[in-house]
Amino acid sequence: MASRTEIFGLYRSLLRTARDLCDYNIREYTKRRTTDGFRQNQKLTDPDSILLAYEEGKNQLALAKRQSVVYSLYVPKVKSVMELDDAAITTN
Amino acid sequence: MASKLLASTLRRTLTKATASSTTTHHLSTAVTAAPAFDSFEDDQNGITMKGVKIAGRPLYLDMQATTPVDPRVLDAMLPFLLSRYGNAHSRTHLFGWESDLAVETARSQISELIGASPKEIIFTSGATESNNISIKGVMHFYKDKKRHVITTQTEHKCVLDSCRHLQQEGFEITYLPVRSDGIVDLDELRAAIRPDTGLISVMAVNNEIGVIQPMEEIGEICKEFKIPFHTDAAQALGKIPIDVEKWNVSLMSLSGHKIYGPKGIGALYMRRRPRIRVEPLINGGGQERGIRSGTLATPLIVGFGSACEIAKKEMDYDHKRVMALTDRLLNGIREKIDGVVINGSMERRYAGNLNLSFAYVEGESLLMGLKEVAVSSGSACTSASLEPSYVLRALGVDEDMAHTSIRFGVGRFTTEAEIDRAIELTVNQVVKLREMSPLYEMVKEGIDIKQIQWSQH
Repeated sequence: MASRTEIFGLYRSLLRTARDLCDYNIREYTKRRTTDGFRQNQKLTDPDSILLAYEEGKNQLALAKRQSVVYSLYVPKVKSVMELDDAAITTN
Repeated sequence: MASKLLASTLRRTLTKATASSTTTHHLSTAVTAAPAFDSFEDDQNGITMKGVKIAGRPLYLDMQATTPVDPRVLDAMLPFLLSRYGNAHSRTHLFGWESDLAVETARSQISELIGASPKEIIFTSGATESNNISIKGVMHFYKDKKRHVITTQTEHKCVLDSCRHLQQEGFEITYLPVRSDGIVDLDELRAAIRPDTGLISVMAVNNEIGVIQPMEEIGEICKEFKIPFHTDAAQALGKIPIDVEKWNVSLMSLSGHKIYGPKGIGALYMRRRPRIRVEPLINGGGQERGIRSGTLATPLIVGFGSACEIAKKEMDYDHKRVMALTDRLLNGIREKIDGVVINGSMERRYAGNLNLSFAYVEGESLLMGLKEVAVSSGSACTSASLEPSYVLRALGVDEDMAHTSIRFGVGRFTTEAEIDRAIELTVNQVVKLREMSPLYEMVKEGIDIKQIQWSQH
């Protein structure tokens, strides 16, 4: 049985890992999917399914950490237009 | 032409030479940089390509052309690109066994997504190859009795081209027209069937306009006449629920890179009961039961399998999100400009594909102006030509409207901010082009431009 603190800890770790992802789209998706996933699993009451969801979350965290490293190795020199200030974008 | 080519090659080589010389100057920083490969990027301040300068990488709204690889898919693939490099057909050592196990796992992940048995999945290089095997393979196998194929005018190029190929060999093909909403008329389909019809091929989700054909009804007709039914489900896989039993398909083409998997991998579903047989296009070592010889691409197959598993798990979540984003895009554009037409049926469509025509605007100018949004005018295969799409022409869309079509493809990784930016840029560009357009001015004055007699010079 995962305690409340453990679950919140996992949630925060996932969000922190998501924030460090280099790719704009992957970063936003990871943040959104994490929040939505935890919100959805809030309704779980059965200890077994809670533990299952917790284990799944831990696997996803390990995966996100690995992929964060991979993505950081091949960052394009130019950022996405979505990450630039509006002023920087040429509006010709 | 040749001199032009030479000049551009020369220019490219010269710029490359100067670029490499600057790297040698800053050797200390170059060590930590990502490996250099040919790209359009020149500096941190922006990208110059084909004479156009943009500040950043464009936002991507072309999910029908291809999708980004999901990091979860890449995570599954990487071990098989590193130490687990065995040939899945090697029977004498661990390397082969572990690759074989991974391939078989992927096979069941794919079959689960479409309600099939793992034994019915044949790995190919992609949906194009699957379509070729299905159409040419079936007809070649049954050529003594069956000489006729039915397909539609809005199929993907590779289906139409395979049919053209069969025609040259003496087979007869019926290219069914579609209604103005892009859907096949079932009565016309029924009427086209002949005693020697050997195959009916209708795609599930159209790649250009996103309409969903009535698969179950077509499957029923095929069952009634005992004709094999082939469908190109590359755009449908993982996006709409697929059940090979409900659809009654005998053959189905699938692709990896349309569902956040890697490029270069696809699959062919082949029904076992009643059994459908094909003549292989590629002969060799007899892998994949002789239907597709050649060593299996284990890393790609693992990626495809993983993409299917994720798609099954995430289908509801993704669908809700894609639908909300497409609504936001459509409403956002329609709120600000008039004369926007959706191509294809509104009721029967996959939400992630929005094909719009903007009246009184020239499509190529619009695409050129939207350089910070990666969209296309239709299929990636034909986007090099200035001809209007044959799919839109089959729908009976007027020439001028067919010329202004833009396909917006929304996917798993699209954000609200990207949609809002796309709306803003599209609206600005359309308004700007309409201000310059004498046609739009005339329409505003109440002149019906369809009545104008254009004189030819």
